[in-house]
Amino acid sequence: MEMRIIKDVLGASVLGGEDRLGESVEHIYASDLMSDVLAFGKPYSMLLTGLATQQAVISAHMAEFKGVVFIRGKKPKDGAEQFARDNQLVLLSTDLDMFDACARLDESWKKEHHALEKGATEYKREEILLSRELCINGNDFTNAGLVSTQVKSILKKIGLDPKLVRRVAISTYEGEMNVVMHAKSARVNLSITPKLIEVVIDDEGKGIPDVQQAMEEGFTTATEEMRAMGFGSGMGLPNIRKNSDELEVSSEVDKGTKVQMRFFI
Amino acid sequence: MTINELVGSVGLKPLSTFEDRDISGVFVSDMVSDVMAGAKSGNLWLTIQTHKSVIPAANLVDVSAVIITGGKEIPQETVELASKYSIAVLSSELPTFELVGKLYELGLGK
Amino acid sequence: MSECRHQWNMTNVRFGFVAFEKCFHCSGVRTFFSKEESPHLGEAYREEEHFWSRVENAQSLRFDLVCSECGRVEDYTELMGLLHCTGCLPECEVEILQQKLEKEKTWLVVAFGHLPPGSDEPFSPEKMKILTDHFNQRRDTSRSRIRVVSFSLIKDFTVCKGEFIHDVGMLSQEPPAERKPLF
Ligand SMILES: Nc1ncnc2c1ncn2[C@@H]1O[C@H](COP(=O)(O)OP(=O)(O)OP(=O)(O)O)[C@@H](O)[C@H]1O
Ligand SMILES: [Mg+2]
Ligand SMILES: [Zn+2]
Ligand SMILES: [Zn+2]
Repeated sequence: MEMRIIKDVLGASVLGGEDRLGESVEHIYASDLMSDVLAFGKPYSMLLTGLATQQAVISAHMAEFKGVVFIRGKKPKDGAEQFARDNQLVLLSTDLDMFDACARLDESWKKEHHALEKGATEYKREEILLSRELCINGNDFTNAGLVSTQVKSILKKIGLDPKLVRRVAISTYEGEMNVVMHAKSARVNLSITPKLIEVVIDDEGKGIPDVQQAMEEGFTTATEEMRAMGFGSGMGLPNIRKNSDELEVSSEVDKGTKVQMRFFI
Repeated sequence: MTINELVGSVGLKPLSTFEDRDISGVFVSDMVSDVMAGAKSGNLWLTIQTHKSVIPAANLVDVSAVIITGGKEIPQETVELASKYSIAVLSSELPTFELVGKLYELGLGK
Repeated sequence: MSECRHQWNMTNVRFGFVAFEKCFHCSGVRTFFSKEESPHLGEAYREEEHFWSRVENAQSLRFDLVCSECGRVEDYTELMGLLHCTGCLPECEVEILQQKLEKEKTWLVVAFGHLPPGSDEPFSPEKMKILTDHFNQRRDTSRSRIRVVSFSLIKDFTVCKGEFIHDVGMLSQEPPAERKPLF
C-alpha cells in the first residue's frame, strides 16, 4: 500500500519524508515495544506506534521499515524528525487511536487487495510494489489525458525503462480517451509488481455491443464533433493491443466496459 | 457480545479462569501508562506484553479481557494472577494489526 | 458548602519516565520523574557518601483529576506510580488490609510518592479517597472495587516485593528473554 494512501486513510499530518509518500509498504505493524519491532517486524513495513520517541524511529530504521505513524496525535521531538530525514523515513501523525487506525487501514488494505484479485492475474499481495486508483469523467475534454499523464509520471519516478513507460502511457491514454468520448465515468487501477504493470479501466456507460468489431482498425462510432477534435479514427483499441502484452476487453451494453492491459517488465 | 462468544469467533485461546461479561470497545496499546489514562470499563485490551504486571493494570481500569497477540508465550504467573482477579487472558496467534481487522469486522469498534 | 457528587476525570496527563536510582553503597533507592525523550541508564556518580546510578526507567504518566461537574482540580504532582501488593510480607499492613478487603471484593493499590519518603505524608486521606473514587467511577463496581492507599502504610521498603504498575524496558532494542523485576 502506498504511504500516501495510509496518510489519507488516517487523515494524518506529515512530519517528514513528504517526497517519499509515493512509495509503498508491504506490511503494517502495530506495536509500542521496540524489541518486538526488531524481533518480529518485517522489512518494508509501516510502524504504527504510541511511543513517540526517537527510539521508535531508530528501531523502525533498523528493522528496515519505510515509515512510522504516531497515533493519538503524538509527535516526537525534533531529533526524531531530523533522524527520519537523514535516513529516508516517512513520519506521520494521526489523531486516531490505535484501534481506529488499524481498523481503517485493514479495511482499505483489503479493498485494495480485492480490486487486484479481480484483475485476474495470480500474484501475491506481498509482491505489489505500488497500487493507485484514479478517476476519469466522461465528456470532460478539458481534463482528458490527466490520468495517463499521472500514470506516466509515477512510472518514470520508479525509474522503469522509458520505452516501457511510453507503451503504458500510450495505451492508458487511448483507454482514457475512450471513456471521455464514449462512456460516463471510470475508475482506473494501476498496479505494479516486480514482473508486470497492470492498468485496469473499469467504466460505467453505454458499453460495446460487439467487442470484436470495436477492436478492428478503423471501426468507430465517433460523432462529427469528435472527429473535428481529431479523434474517431477507430485506431484506439488496436493501438492498445499493439502496445500491451496482454489485453482483455469485456463489456455489457448499458452497463459499462472494462479494459485490462498488462505490460511485462 | 460477551467474551465467551468472542473466543469462538476469532480463534482465541482462553488461559485464565474468568467470569463471562459483556465487551464494550477495544483498546490497543503495549503501554501500561496508556491503558491507565485511556482504557474504559469493559474494553478488550490488545497487547504483546506478557509480563504479570499487565494484570494489576487491567484490573485497575476494569478491562473485560486481555488479549495477548502475536502468539507470545505467556508466563504461568500472569495467568494465575488474572484468575485471581477473574480477568480473562486470551491468546491470539495473529499480530495486533491483523486481529484488529477481525474484531472490527465483528463490529467491536466503539 | 457545595454538595457536588464529584465525577473525577484525568486531566493534564503527562507521559514520561520514572527514573530509579540506586546506590551501590547503601542499597538506597530514589526516584525522579523525567520528561526526557529517550532516557538512558547513566554511569554511577558520587554524591557525598552515595554512589548513585540510574538502574531503571519506567514508562509512566502523571496526571491530575478534575471534576466534570464542578470543575474542582485535585493535583497529584507527588504521585510517582501505583504499586500492586504481592502479599510478600504477612505482617505488612498493606497485606493485612488486603486480606480484609478481599472478602468485600475490593482490590488494594498502593500510591507511591518520591523515594526516599520524606517525613511529611505526601498523600492526605482525602487525596487517596479522590483517587479511589476516580478508579471506581471508571469501573463496573457491581463486580469489584478499587481502594488506593498511601505508601506510608508499607513498613519496610527494602524488603517489599510489590510490583509497580509500569512498563520497563520499553525502549530496549534487545528482545528480553525474561523481563526483570524493577530492582
Ligand atoms: N469505453 C467505451 N465505451 C463504449 N464504447 C466504446 C468504448 N471504447 C470504445 N468504444 C467503442 O469502440 C469503438 C472503437 O474504439 P477505438 O478506440 O478503437 O476508436 P475510436 O475511439 O472510435 O477512435 P480513436 O480512438 O481512433 O479516436 C468506438 O468508436 C466506440 O464505439
Ligand atoms: Mg478511442
Ligand atoms: Zn465536583
Ligand atoms: Zn548510599
